[in-house]
This record gives sequence, C-alpha cells and structure tokens, in this order.
Amino acid sequence: MHEIIRQLEEKRQKAHLGGGQKRIDSQHAKGKLTARERIELFLDDGSFEEWDMFKEHRCTDFGMDAEHVPGDGVVTGYGTVNGRLVFVFSQDFTVFGGSLSETQAEKICKVMDHAMKVGAPVIGLNDSGGARIQEGVASLGGYADVFQRNVMASGVIPQISLIMGPCAGGAVYSPAMTDFIFMVKDSSYMFVTGPEVVKTVTHEEVTAEQLGGAVTHNTKSGVADLAFENDVEALMMTRRLVGFLPGSNRSEVPVVPCDDPADRVDYSLDTLVPSSANQSYDMKELIFKMVDDGDFFELQPDYAKNIIIGLARMEGSTVGIVANQPLVLAGCLDIKSSIKAARFVRFCDAFNIPVVTLVDVPGFMPGTSQEYGGIIKHGAKLLYAYAECTVPKVTLITRKAYGGAYDVMSSKHLRGDVNFAWPSAEIAVMGPKGAVEIIFREEKGDPAKLAEREAEYKAKFANPFVAGARGFIDDVVMPHETRKRICRSLAMLKDKQVDNPWRKHGNIPL
Amino acid sequence: MFKKILIANRGEIACRVIKTARKMGIATVAVYSEADKDALHVDLADEGVCIGPAPSKDSYLVIDKIIAACKQTGAEAVHPGYGFLSENAEFSRRLEEEGIKFIGPKHYSVAKMGDKIESKKLALEAKVNTIPGYNEAISGPEQAVEIAKGIGYPVMIKASAGGGGKGLRVAFNDKEAYDGFASCVNEAKNAFGDDRVFIEKYVLEPRHIEIQVLGDSHGNYVYLNERDCSIQRRHQKVIEEAPSPFVDPEMRKAMGEQAVALARAVQYESAGTVEFVVGADKSFYFLEMNTRLQVEHPVTELITGLDLVELMIRVAAGEKLPMTQNDVRLDGWSMECRINAEDPFRGFLPSTGRLVKFQPPEEGNGVRVDTGVFEGGEISMFYDSMIAKLIVHGKDRDDAIRLMRDALNAFLIRGIGSNIPFQAALLQHPRFCSGNFNTGFIAEEYPQGFDASMVPHDDPELLAAVATFARLRYIERAVQTTGQLQGHGRRVTTDWVALMGGKNYQLHVEPIEGGKAITCGGKRYEIVSNWTFRDMIFEACVNGLPICLQIERRGLRYRISHFGLQVEPMVMTPRAARLLALMPEKLPPDMSRFLLSPMPGLLREIAVHVGQEVKAGEKLAVIEAMKMENVLKAEQDGKVKNILAAAGASLAVDEMIIEFE
Repeated sequence: MHEIIRQLEEKRQKAHLGGGQKRIDSQHAKGKLTARERIELFLDDGSFEEWDMFKEHRCTDFGMDAEHVPGDGVVTGYGTVNGRLVFVFSQDFTVFGGSLSETQAEKICKVMDHAMKVGAPVIGLNDSGGARIQEGVASLGGYADVFQRNVMASGVIPQISLIMGPCAGGAVYSPAMTDFIFMVKDSSYMFVTGPEVVKTVTHEEVTAEQLGGAVTHNTKSGVADLAFENDVEALMMTRRLVGFLPGSNRSEVPVVPCDDPADRVDYSLDTLVPSSANQSYDMKELIFKMVDDGDFFELQPDYAKNIIIGLARMEGSTVGIVANQPLVLAGCLDIKSSIKAARFVRFCDAFNIPVVTLVDVPGFMPGTSQEYGGIIKHGAKLLYAYAECTVPKVTLITRKAYGGAYDVMSSKHLRGDVNFAWPSAEIAVMGPKGAVEIIFREEKGDPAKLAEREAEYKAKFANPFVAGARGFIDDVVMPHETRKRICRSLAMLKDKQVDNPWRKHGNIPL
Repeated sequence: MFKKILIANRGEIACRVIKTARKMGIATVAVYSEADKDALHVDLADEGVCIGPAPSKDSYLVIDKIIAACKQTGAEAVHPGYGFLSENAEFSRRLEEEGIKFIGPKHYSVAKMGDKIESKKLALEAKVNTIPGYNEAISGPEQAVEIAKGIGYPVMIKASAGGGGKGLRVAFNDKEAYDGFASCVNEAKNAFGDDRVFIEKYVLEPRHIEIQVLGDSHGNYVYLNERDCSIQRRHQKVIEEAPSPFVDPEMRKAMGEQAVALARAVQYESAGTVEFVVGADKSFYFLEMNTRLQVEHPVTELITGLDLVELMIRVAAGEKLPMTQNDVRLDGWSMECRINAEDPFRGFLPSTGRLVKFQPPEEGNGVRVDTGVFEGGEISMFYDSMIAKLIVHGKDRDDAIRLMRDALNAFLIRGIGSNIPFQAALLQHPRFCSGNFNTGFIAEEYPQGFDASMVPHDDPELLAAVATFARLRYIERAVQTTGQLQGHGRRVTTDWVALMGGKNYQLHVEPIEGGKAITCGGKRYEIVSNWTFRDMIFEACVNGLPICLQIERRGLRYRISHFGLQVEPMVMTPRAARLLALMPEKLPPDMSRFLLSPMPGLLREIAVHVGQEVKAGEKLAVIEAMKMENVLKAEQDGKVKNILAAAGASLAVDEMIIEFE
C-alpha cells in the first residue's frame, strides 16, 4: 500500500512537471503560462478536480514508446467559476508541443461527454502544435472525434475556446465550432495554412501574426470574439463571460443579486438622439445607461463596428444586446454586421437568453462589393435568426428603421414580443429625401416643390405614429424610462413559451 | 420693481440671474441662439426668444435682436451678465432710448471706463493710485534714465506698438535703463515700424486683486472687500478667492476707499469691479474698472452674505442700497474654481461634445455650484469653454481649500475633458496652500504644461484598498449567482494584491461591521460604505473620516480618480499576481510613425497616396469635426507606407489614419 502511494506521488509529481522544468521555463519565456497555471487561474482556488492524469499515449512508432508523460499533453477535469460548474481542458505545450494524440483526444472527449450529461460549459485552452504526426491517422481520428462532439454540444452547452498559443491546420476547426473564441495578442495564432505554405502557393510574404494573430482575427476575419494582452487577462475575462452563461440549454439564465433599481430613470437619454437626422450618436451610451450597473460584456468590439453585440444583465438576469451603431457607417447592415449579429442571436436563442434589440438602421449597405459578396444571403442570416428565435424579444427603435432592415431588426412581424419606439423613431420604407425622389419623380426638376414634398413626407412618416397605428409598435416610450419599460417587458415575458414546428433542422442560408 | 426682465446672455450666468429673479418674483425671458435651443438657461426661464444662428456675432451680440426680444415679450429691463454686450455703452444707451432699463451702470460710466486712457485720467483725478509712468515721446537714453530714476526702479520699457514680449525690457538700474531703451527702440523700429517707447513702473511679483464696488442712483457707494485672482493661466483666471491672503485690513480699507472714489467719479450705479495690480511690497495700482458683474462675483457673495444680482436689479429699479459701508461683512473664506471643458493633459485644448455624465457635487454645507449645462447636454464650440463654477465657503482659508478638494473629488464629468485634475493639482500645491503666489504662479510651476505625474497623492495605499473593497463587493455578489455547485462554492480569500502604477500593493482583508478592514503597507483602513456597482462616486467612511472618490470599472481594472490623480489598479490573488509577473511587459506601440486622429470626426479627405514622399507641413488629411474642417499636416518629412482609413470613415480620437515608413 505504501509503495502504491509513493508511486502515486511520483506520478503526480511527474505529471505536474509536464515536459520538464526546462520546457516550462521556455514556455514562460515566450510570455505564456503552463497548462496547469492557466487552469489554476481560471478556476476558483482549489476547485479543480483533475481526471486522467495518468493517461498515456499508446504510440510505439518513431521511438515514441520511450517517451511517456503522464497526462499526455492535456490537462482535463472540472471545477468552478464563482461556484458554478465548468469543465476544462488545457493543452500542455511543454509535452510534445501540446500535439493532439489519440489519447489526448480521448481525454478531451471525456470531459465534453460529461459536460453534456450534466449540463455545464466546456472551456478549452488551446496551445498545441497540431496533430501528433508520429501517430498518423490515429491523431486525425482524434480530431474528428472532438469535432463531432463540438457539433453535438453546439446549442446544448456553452463552449468557449481560448487560443493561447499555436492553433493551425485542422486544429482550428474545433474552436471554430465553439460559441466564442478569445485570443491572446502576440502569443497566439490561428490559420488553416501557415505563412510558409502561403509563400509557396501564393508567393505572399506574411508573418504568423499578420496571417492569423489575435488582432487579425478580431478586426479583419471576425473569427475571434475578443483579444487580450496576456494569458492572465484572457483567463480572468473568460471567468466574467462564464458568469453570464447558463450551464446548458436545459437551465435558466443565471441571476445575480441586483441593487440597480429596475425603475431607475435617466433623463440624459432624452437628448441622446441629436435633432439633426444626419448627426450620429453613440448607441453604447444607451446600452451603458440601460443595463444593470452599466456592465456590458461586449463581444467582437473591433469587428463590424456598425453593429454592437454583447451580454448584460437586466434585474440581475442575463440578456443579449444587439444594437445598430449609428457612429459607424451610419449603423447600416452589411455582410459582416449581419453575420456577426445573426450568430449572436442564435447563440442567445439556443441558451434561453432574451434578446434586447436597439434599432437605428438606415437600411442595407449598397454597392457592388456588397452584392457580389452575397449580402442577399448574409443579410438573410440575420432575418432567419430573428425569425426563428423563440426567446423573449424586446425591441426599441431609437431613430431610423428604414426598409427591409426595419423588418430584419427583430420587428413585430418576426415575432418581436414587445416593440417600443422612442418619439424620435422614424419607421418608413426609406428616408424622406429618397422616397420623395421616387414618388414624385416627375417633379425632379423643381427643387422647391421637391423640398415641399419632402417636408410633407417627413411630417407623415418621420415619426412612430404610422407604425403605432398598425400595432407594429406597442408603445412610444420616453427615452428616460427605457430601462424601466424594458425591465418590465422582460419580467412579463419570463415564462414565454413558443415552439417552432418539428423538423430535423431548418435550412438557414449559410 | 420690474415684473419681467430679459437676460441677454447664456450659460451659467444666465441661469444665475434667472435664479435670483425667480426668488424676487420677477418673470424671466431667455434669449438663445439656434445652437442653444436646448440649453439650460432656456429651460429655466419663463419665456425664450431665439435670436439667430450659433455664432455670437449673429445672435448674442446683435443689439437690435435683443431690443426686439424685449419688445416682443414686454421685458422692462435687461441683465447683460458678463461678456457679450455687458460693457457695450452703445447697448445701454440704445436700451435707454427704447425705455428699457439696463441692469448695470449708466452708459456714460461704461464709456468712460471703457477707454483706457480716459479711465487712467479719471483715476488720477480721483486720487486713485495709478502706475507711475511716462507717456510722452522720449528724446534719448539719457532722458530715459532720468525718467526711470524719477519713477523708481524697477521700470518697464515698452514699445507702444509692442506685444507678445517683443519690444519689452525690464531695468533695475541706470545702466540697464540706458541700454534697454536703445535696444527697445531698435527692436520696436524693426518689428513694428514704430519706434515710440514708454516707460512705467515695473511691478515685481504682481498679484491681481480687485475690489467689488456697488453704487446706487442716490449717490451711495460701498465696497464689498477684495478678490484675489492671481491664479491665472495665460491671462485667464483659474482660481479666485475672497478675501486675499495678501491683503490686511488697512490695505483693504485703502483699496476699497480708492475704488469707491473712482466709482463716485463716474457716478457708478450698479455692481462694478476695480482691478488693481499689487506688488510684493504691498503697493497697489489701478489697472481698469470692469463695469459689469464678474465671473467670480460668487466669492464676494459668500463672504458678505449678499446677492449681487439682486442688488443690481434693485439699484436699476431705483432703490437705495440697503446697507452702508459699516454693514459690509467679511465672513470666513471663499474660493472659486472655474470648471472648463478642456483637456489639461492635451495642452488644455478645448473639449467639445456630449456631456455623457455631469454630476456636480451636492450644494450646501459650504458648496455652491453655478452652471449652465446638464447631463446629456452638448458643449458646442461656439462659446466659452467654462461650463461651471465650483464655489466653496469655509471658516478660513485652509477650510476652504479642504472643502474645494472634496468638492472636486465629487464632481463627475464624462464625455468631455475637464480641467478638474489640474484644479485638484493646484489646490494641493504647497505654494498655493501657503498663499504665497502671484500671477506668474502657473507659468512658473508648470512651464512645460501639465501632465499626470504632476498630481501627487500622499496615500496610494488608500486607493489600492478602495479598489480591493470594490473587487470584493463584486466577488461577494458573483458567488451568489444562481446555479451554484451546492456545498462546493467559492471560498473568498483574505489576501490580495493590487497592481497599480507599476507597483504591487499587498493587502489583507478582514470583515468589519458594514464594511472591510483592509491593511496595506502597515496602514489599516476601516472602510464602511454602501457603495453599489453603478455608483461612479465612491463615498465611504475610512477610519471614521468621510472620503469621496470616483471609480469606474474598465475591464479587469478600476479607474479611480482622487485629488486629480487617476490610477487604474487591478486587484488579484497573490498567485495570479505572481503569474502575471511572468507575462511580458508590452510597451505601448511607437505611434510616431502614424498619423492619428486628434479628435473624433469624419475623415473628409486623404490628401496623399501610398509611396508618396511628404514634407513637413504638407497637408495629409482633412477631418471634419463639429462642422469645422481640420487640416492635418505632416510633422516631419517622410514617406507614406500605408493608408489605414478611407475618406468618409468616422474616426475616434487616436484612430490611425496614415502609417509612415
């Protein structure tokens, strides 16, 4: 018995050292923490329950039978974040470069299966050179096993990926199928083919950072959702994100005690929308002043900035916020912003998170690049997402809601539960100027007459009353009472039940 | 008494006048430009009349429009406030012709005091000290020396056409006067084509001290003590106080009596201010008389207990002054900070835009706030950058300084920059606190401008403790989130590290009744507070004493502002701090190779192309902000490597536009 315990201690120690002190030092020198340090930071102190610490690979080729490290390059298990259950796996770059072996895949699959069973999020900390080449197809099979579980878990439990080192080739597709991807600046990158291959094939000279660094994926590709300065910030902010998420699609959204009064009024919102229709304003001010404690967890803040997405709380309960941003491209919908918002709406819908939509949209972005890029299909994604969504949907039109974009943005017609408008709302097919130029085409040569018509059109449609008369909006609310009215609506909708017809799955225009 | 008056002004002073009028039961009419239609003064007044477009010259300065507004509304009198038409003799004369009372001095008083030469002559006649000097043509250096001797050294030799420091010499003896005259004449001839030069007494270490006077139409005059306005930045007053730490009762009486003599000489019927320059030897000389209500009048009101606007209105209505000189009080100490919409860390550039947050400290208990703006309002570029005046009244100077420092801590402004950090820094400057300063104070103490390092804080451990307090409040709430793993919840630990300004502060926390006792660096802070997360003002009792600071969550950090200092502590467990120490320190990227947007605005035009060689001063881009086109020019020669923003893009401040090689 003593001998067994001694051996156990020895194995534990070995496992804790991973690839050895030298490799740990080299990991630190690269500005990265080790797999275990990351888990330690991410979970509540002392809450980590590790599984499969003694699991080892079974490969015998290329001398691998001589090299065994307990745990085989990934640390897995569960623990808590502020007392709430989460499952984690953390790839250990110090062991075989964190490369994915068949065994490693089995370990990852095990925590994913458990997470699915009990309904808790899975957080993957990725730091791996890629497939365990020595294992060949066994490693590839391991990847696919993980992929399959990612897909099965999608919409069942929240999945979050932190990219904290290399993530290249096929490996990218596991994070790609998770709900959120966070990256660390300067020490992580993701790409399907690396700079060398790029150079050989297309003769482009590009660094790994330019090709797939945190900044690239957070500003250009939209693959990632947030970028952080270092591992510590990434892990601590991920804890914060977890605080907003339910354990699974079977649980209700988490609620925290809230001392921000639901009926808090803010008169400064009465002047948020400028009197001139061409002047912009920052929609984030409304978000900050509306949600609990001004605490808004924005996602993809540097990508498609013409739409804002993120999580917040109202009366302590998580809500998803989707808002047009008039400061950027006048808040219009284009390919990138449609995809960004559509994916977020579907995430919220999957996890019972009510969606609050703030609308100031002049329409879809015109132009050949948009049409050639398939704005029809991509815009349809957002329309589809809202239409299919069955969680409580509260919409507020602050100013413009023009044309097809009005329909898309969680309108009454797409089963919006409560649709509000500020007095400054203008719900119309298009702006007065454009409308008049079409309706009164024959008066084109007479600017005075046209101006008169424009004023006429403006008086008729540049207000919330026409839509109100049809019941497309439920009420006109004063900006200062926005928080109160939205809180009440969400409270009223708490037990909302709507079911979509049975089907295998819909066919969202991908 | 009048039934209705019109206020021919805007901003805080219009609001100030409306307040008193309302108290007196007088109806008020506001005038406003198109840019001001949602302004506070319009909201406060009983009626409002739009008098034209935003630029003052088309609205607030147009006499005809003001008179028309009076007629339209039936206003019997006009209060001009300060600035705009307040010292325009033509305006008060025109009003008189129309039978409308001007709440201010008679036009002849205004006219006499508005003329620099005439006012000096009048002052001389009224036996008011004026700066000794010689204004006639000087034949040569020998005569210059004679004149200088007559005046007494030091003297200033100045070109009549001079300005900006050119053509100006200070002489402390005969030789310097002799040489100084010659070089001054030369310089004047070369620089201005005008070699006329005059000599006057040079006042060493001058202070700016002014006397508030009040006269009525019955020949009664009083002086209401002095105000010290020596704290100036580029001739703009920054802090004013009453009384002056430099003036003794005897001097006060002498200055006051001279000021009254001058007022009497021009039959001054209203509130007015006689400005003096005061030397280190307590000599004082008349500078000019301001024939209007001053910005800084509240400090006088607080120490005398008078309402100057009310007295102005009563005098204009023909009433007698309700007091004699013997009734004038001097109670305690008052101080005023001008709160300006400007960014002290960017060379005091004016800051315009939306007031996302505007919460002045609570009034009462010795604090007064005069303002003309409100949360959600817009600070436009058309008018003065002063948005509020923070005034305190303490029992003595130290008490007033303490009150002001606390009040500045509680003054919340977001969305635009404000000079509050600068004001806070001034208020803890030892020289300011000693009272030993002159008008050169700011230029001498902040010769290179102002930056964040010039705001010392004597208790950074307190800020670390407050950040830890806030962090623990957050954690204690987070562990109450629903969905807990029952019985296996998070244990909140007692040792923490705050990373702040590159330093690690070790903290130990114990619970106490209503709060936490936090030990840091051998100091123990017992913090009791009912602060909640949405409060940007953190009020607490620390070791039994009240404190107030500003706190905001910024990602993982807290931004704390206290006594002008801004820090962003990050609080974590000791283990996390050790791990964070392993992380590479990322230096802020070198931005010198980039053209950054200096302001939020619309990128109108990119004037260069990739690969283009540009010379310093060459136009690079045009940004439209606040309806103004701002041309961005190359600061040095270079070659355009990359263009990072396209014309038509809306830019945030510091957004990258062009990269150079």
